[in-house]
Amino acid sequence: MSTSLLNVEDLKVRFKTEDGIVPSVNGVTFHVDKGETVAIVGESGCGKSITSLSILDLIPSPGEIHHGRIDFNGTDLQAIKKKQLRKLRGNEISMIFQEPMTSLNPVFTIGNQISESIRLHQRLGKKKALMKSIEMLDRVGIPDAEAVVRRFPHQLSGGMRQRVMIAMALACNPKLLIADEPTTALDVTIQAQILELIKQLKTDFDTGVILITHDLGVVAEVADRVVVMYAGEVVEEAPVEELFANPKHPYTLGLLSSVPKAEHVVDELGTIEGNVPNPADMPEGCKFHPRCPFATDKCRNEHPELEQFDSNHKKRCFYDVEKGGVA
Amino acid sequence: MKFLLRQILRIIPVLFIISLIVFLLVRVTGDPISLMLPETATEQDKAELRQSLGLNEPLYVQYFTYLGDLVTGDFGESFRYNQPALSIVLERLPASLELAFFSMIIAIIISIPLGVLSAIKRNSFIDLFITGGAVLGKAMPNFWLGIMLILLFAVQFNVLPVSGTGSIYHLILPAITLGTAIAAEMTRLIRSSMLEILSQEYIRTARSKGLIEAIVVNKHALRNALIPVVTIMALQTATLIGGTLITETVFSWPGMGQLLIQAVNLRDMAVVQAATFVIAILVIGSNLLADLTYRYLDPRIKYD
Ligand SMILES: Nc1ncnc2c1ncn2[C@@H]1O[C@H](COP(=O)(O)OP(=O)(O)O)[C@@H](O)[C@H]1O
Ligand code: SF4
Ligand SMILES: [Mg+2]
Repeated sequence: MSTSLLNVEDLKVRFKTEDGIVPSVNGVTFHVDKGETVAIVGESGCGKSITSLSILDLIPSPGEIHHGRIDFNGTDLQAIKKKQLRKLRGNEISMIFQEPMTSLNPVFTIGNQISESIRLHQRLGKKKALMKSIEMLDRVGIPDAEAVVRRFPHQLSGGMRQRVMIAMALACNPKLLIADEPTTALDVTIQAQILELIKQLKTDFDTGVILITHDLGVVAEVADRVVVMYAGEVVEEAPVEELFANPKHPYTLGLLSSVPKAEHVVDELGTIEGNVPNPADMPEGCKFHPRCPFATDKCRNEHPELEQFDSNHKKRCFYDVEKGGVA
Repeated sequence: MKFLLRQILRIIPVLFIISLIVFLLVRVTGDPISLMLPETATEQDKAELRQSLGLNEPLYVQYFTYLGDLVTGDFGESFRYNQPALSIVLERLPASLELAFFSMIIAIIISIPLGVLSAIKRNSFIDLFITGGAVLGKAMPNFWLGIMLILLFAVQFNVLPVSGTGSIYHLILPAITLGTAIAAEMTRLIRSSMLEILSQEYIRTARSKGLIEAIVVNKHALRNALIPVVTIMALQTATLIGGTLITETVFSWPGMGQLLIQAVNLRDMAVVQAATFVIAILVIGSNLLADLTYRYLDPRIKYD
């Protein structure tokens, strides 16, 4: 554990809204090793983005981390000063977001926006930073980079903008890249290209990656390890081959059955019925029980812990569902 | 450049319409002849004057004569001052522009920092204070604020002149009076515009790069937040140029607002027409300036 690049332990985030306290992340634990790609999957609203934003203290107000610990390279990120945290942002830890259309500032040129972090973290002059920006754009496969630095975001396509975001994120050779649904807003061919790019990072720069997605097809493509989240909790965690070959949590089984062209076909479950519960009104016991075909009275009353039942496999379920139900 | 040319061409029909409206307004609102002559004047005198002013001609002939004169910059003689109307108006122009300009500067100096501050500290005591102040500033009548300022700074402390022109000190109180009202409106506008921009995703991107909050706010957010504010600023400037009558009166400021009202009361047609025209051109000019600023701030707007 101490060798991990990032270690998130029992993270709890809540929103203090007018309608009361909304617990959106409820004790999430996971880690990312150097050069490893960890996928966080789960339906929309289960706390993936909030978990990832917590790392750099970017949760929107009125959200707050009220429990847990986040260590990066052995440093407790909550104990350090804001100034030190800012030194990590965009430098050692970078983020790219879902919406390439709205993630870039519309009134500044691409060159300005990429140079900004280079100048900040590498103390380069204007000219040199712009040269570096062009080099980065080149590297992420943007043709005619010298011209693109002078363009504004609205003059580029969605795929190009996401490449710009990636170029910006990688400009300072981060040790960790957090990509929050980087391909969700893009069409399929562009999606494949962007994923290829992210995969290459790992081999070229040994960058650790947190890839957030609700698409298991994307997971199979790029991830080394998978963390499955449901209702603000980790419900299963395993290396990617293990998870696809041997899913243990009913929720994961449900997700897998809704992947098109999944190698693994699960007979018992179709697509998961019902919706992610509202964080303000969580079910008692196992949070998945209203949607779980295997739910028992115990599930309705008791909350299962995340249990490591194998050297590299964790699940949060009382039962061994592979046997087709209650064991 | 092409844009500018096109805008200028677009102004010409607008000027035509303004000239027509001014022309008609002056003629439908009463007979100027009776005001121009003493009460003892005979019908004979009136007819002669009417004849000499061309008022017996059909309306359209009068209009075209008037238009022809306009093109050569001739708005006619003021019968009150016995001088060309345009030169009387232009004499007042510098004072009007000066006051408008400084009021706007004061409004900007006050509203941008306060609007930004109340947005970034939203729902705090500071925000409440600023928003409350803005409501107050807007509710306060201009003449009242003007008189209060005079009482305080000119009468009580005797540090600034009560009224008139001639130095930068004369400008301070009227500019503050006008600037305050505009600042109040603009502060609220900047606050709400900033609040909207601060929740945008590119602001989160800016923070995620490690930028200090001052740069996130002053570079990434403010530039975007000012885009909608510019239009309102132009409107306010236009209002300032033409309609500062009350403030001009309180401070005896020799601007165009006073001149225009006097001319209307006296039915000094030539001056009314010249003043209206000059104000219209200034309004168009400030809108053009707003458009250019808008384009500068927002690259998404195409130049064609
Ligand atoms: N600004 C906010 N105010 C209140 N609650 C929020 C806010 N943002 C997120 N949440 C809560 O956090 C939960 C998790 O959100 P998020 O992490 O964005 O989900 P995901 O990325 O998995 O789709 C949401 O279901 C919501 O209840
Ligand atoms: S604990 Fe029960 S309800 Fe929860 S996932 Fe397992 S079987 Fe389903
Ligand atoms: Mg999300």
